[in-house]
Amino acid sequence: MRFLTLAAALAVLASPTWAQDAVAQPPAATPAVAPAAAPAAPATDTRGLDQEVQDLKKDVVDLNRDLFVLEEDLLFPANTQVAVFVSLDVGDFFALDSVELKIDQKEVANYLYTPREAEALLKGGVHRLYLGNLKVGSHELVALFSGKGPNERDYQRGATLKFDKGIGAKYLELKINDRQRKQQPEFEIKDWE
Amino acid sequence: MRKGLILLGLAAALAAGTVLARQPPEKLPATRIRDLHYGDVLFYFYQEDDFEAITRLNAYEHWGLLPHHEAESQLLLGGLYLSLGLHNEAGARFETLLTPTVPTGVRNRAWFYLAKIWYARGYLDKAEHAIRQVQGALPPELDAEKQHLFANILMRQGRFDEAVQLLLHWKGPLDWMAYAQFNLGVALVREGKLAEADPFLTQVGTLKTTRAELLALKDRANLALGFAYLQSNQPAKAKPVLERVRLNGPYSNKALLGAGWAEAALGDYSQALSPWMELRNRNLLDAAVQESYLSVPYAFGKLNASAQAAEYYESAVKSFDDESAKLDEAIGRIRSGHMLDALLTSEKDTHYGWFWQLTTLPDAPESRYLYAVLAGHDFQEGLKNYRDLAYMGRTLDRWGDSIEAFGDMVDTREKAYAQRLPRADALLASDSLTDKQHRRDEMTSRLNTIESGAEVAALGSPQEREQWAQIQKLEAALAGASDNEENAALRDRLRLVKGVLYFRLNAAFKGRLWQERRTVRDLDAALAEAQIRWIRVEKARKSAPTSTGDFAQRIASLRQRIDALQARLASVREKQNGYLADLAVRELEAQKDRLATYQIQARYALASMYDRAANPPEGKP
Repeated sequence: MRFLTLAAALAVLASPTWAQDAVAQPPAATPAVAPAAAPAAPATDTRGLDQEVQDLKKDVVDLNRDLFVLEEDLLFPANTQVAVFVSLDVGDFFALDSVELKIDQKEVANYLYTPREAEALLKGGVHRLYLGNLKVGSHELVALFSGKGPNERDYQRGATLKFDKGIGAKYLELKINDRQRKQQPEFEIKDWE
Repeated sequence: MRKGLILLGLAAALAAGTVLARQPPEKLPATRIRDLHYGDVLFYFYQEDDFEAITRLNAYEHWGLLPHHEAESQLLLGGLYLSLGLHNEAGARFETLLTPTVPTGVRNRAWFYLAKIWYARGYLDKAEHAIRQVQGALPPELDAEKQHLFANILMRQGRFDEAVQLLLHWKGPLDWMAYAQFNLGVALVREGKLAEADPFLTQVGTLKTTRAELLALKDRANLALGFAYLQSNQPAKAKPVLERVRLNGPYSNKALLGAGWAEAALGDYSQALSPWMELRNRNLLDAAVQESYLSVPYAFGKLNASAQAAEYYESAVKSFDDESAKLDEAIGRIRSGHMLDALLTSEKDTHYGWFWQLTTLPDAPESRYLYAVLAGHDFQEGLKNYRDLAYMGRTLDRWGDSIEAFGDMVDTREKAYAQRLPRADALLASDSLTDKQHRRDEMTSRLNTIESGAEVAALGSPQEREQWAQIQKLEAALAGASDNEENAALRDRLRLVKGVLYFRLNAAFKGRLWQERRTVRDLDAALAEAQIRWIRVEKARKSAPTSTGDFAQRIASLRQRIDALQARLASVREKQNGYLADLAVRELEAQKDRLATYQIQARYALASMYDRAANPPEGKP
């Protein structure tokens, strides 16, 4: 009978332990089989399957890219494409809630930012708010920013830009900056040539 | 860890020198976006939506929209592949990207995380290669983890000597030191060097701490040392060590079992009964508890309490029977293939990727047998793959719907072209623009003649032009008339009228000529605009059939790829499901085998006792 106990003892010594293992373990109140049955080394060689999964994932990633490219090529051809981006610098004086976008007096986007998205903007992400098509010629863009301004007050500001759409994609950036001297946010629209 | 990888991605920006070089690579640097689309990729990356980030990064690269962030794009791509569990792809990329031009901090982090993933996935050779690429020291917390990881890689390869050498003189933060000492102690025990292992395991086993994680490690160290002593027939040394294990911790059952065996080995079966009886009242799922169902009657037998021994053996046989039947049911449920779906639906978060971790277990009967398996690396890593495949399957399903819509769109476009093309062709064939150009040229030439010939009447109003023609007609008529008084008076009147009209026409001539020239200029602008549009129409006409045809081909090819990948996904998911079910079933079958062995032992012991009772030795009643 003693050999059984020794088998359990060997299991205790079977694997190196890892600080993060504790996270994966069940709470102490649950049945404690952890030391005996937590195999650290694979019992079988699973590399073949893992490699197959990785190859498959890579193919899905590549296919996803090609589908994304097709979708935009099809819906927003480069010669008519216009994209409007939103960026936020610092953000001490303004916490963005939403942006309303009008092109040629027609509302094309009204976007409400989640805290996670606002955080991503603060970290340096740039949000492609709108992607559409425009004819060659002169156009007007109006952006209305809503959020919390200095002292947590509701704050709403607009910015306007007249721009020319030529042949080729047009990129516009709605920039929200902190103007330190005035202790106020500043909103501008940049035309990326 | 997620944060760590984000830092890796951000630190990658340092590589191209687009951010402040004075910032240390471990700190969040301010990324100066020079291509809006790179910022868009980061927008999704920072939200941990790595699949969207990698899709956009690849697409924007395809369109050449990231010219200013090429280097960091490549590093970020490597990081994203890593995060999606594509560690071989990430490794291959890092191998070429992490050149000495990349700051050491960035390189070290990349290699460290790669080593960590490879270790978790069981690629120990690759993990070792990656960890050896880390040069110099990482930040203190990561450095300790790195050292610990390196030792584990060695130990899992059975290279205990090297692990011992690595950890022997290492100093790090308290908790990492404790893990290192534990691992070192275990490595030494496995090398048969118990005396050398004792100080390390004792040091961990006597830690002063209130942290749950370290308390569990402390118990584990005492348990390991205690059982090592039991194994080497030193029960007297095992006993005090095993008694240090908490009575309610995760390792208490094994410690109670071992403590009983230590007493038994010292010949004190009465003392042995104390921990074993305590153990026997605990949950039968635990192997130690199961064993106590045998050790208790075994001790009673040794104490000559045969009736109690028989009673406990019979109870053990019945309990083992019941448990074995439950295990059979659990194995059946897992084999039916519902375990993974139950596991995944118990997780509300729909995320994917390598950083995901199963946190809650489904309330299924088999869960209670599988805590350890489900918490193990193999299962967790396999489950991540399974989950990622499920996510990708859903993504492909959505694209499957979209691609149908794209196909319809291209069909509609083709129909619209078919309707418009004849009109466009007729227009282009009419050559009406050239005709208009000729007419404009004629107009300019006529104006030049009018100007040079001072034909003032030519620019008069229609009424004036009619009056001027009337005068010229009358002049011609009067020219051939006789020279009498009446005709002379008529000629004088006509000259006067002509003079008045000419005066008026001449006075307005310059203004009218300017106006006409302006009209020609406006016409020129309109013609130039028309010329541009004409060229555009011509181009569109030429590319129209090709463009829609090209899209139709791309759609058809992508549709095929979606179908093929969906089939592969289904097949690999099934394999992954089978692999994970095998892991679980293997564990349950091991538990069943153990129960069967105990069962045999109990029955054998019981049979022996009955036999002895039926055939008592001579001289006894």
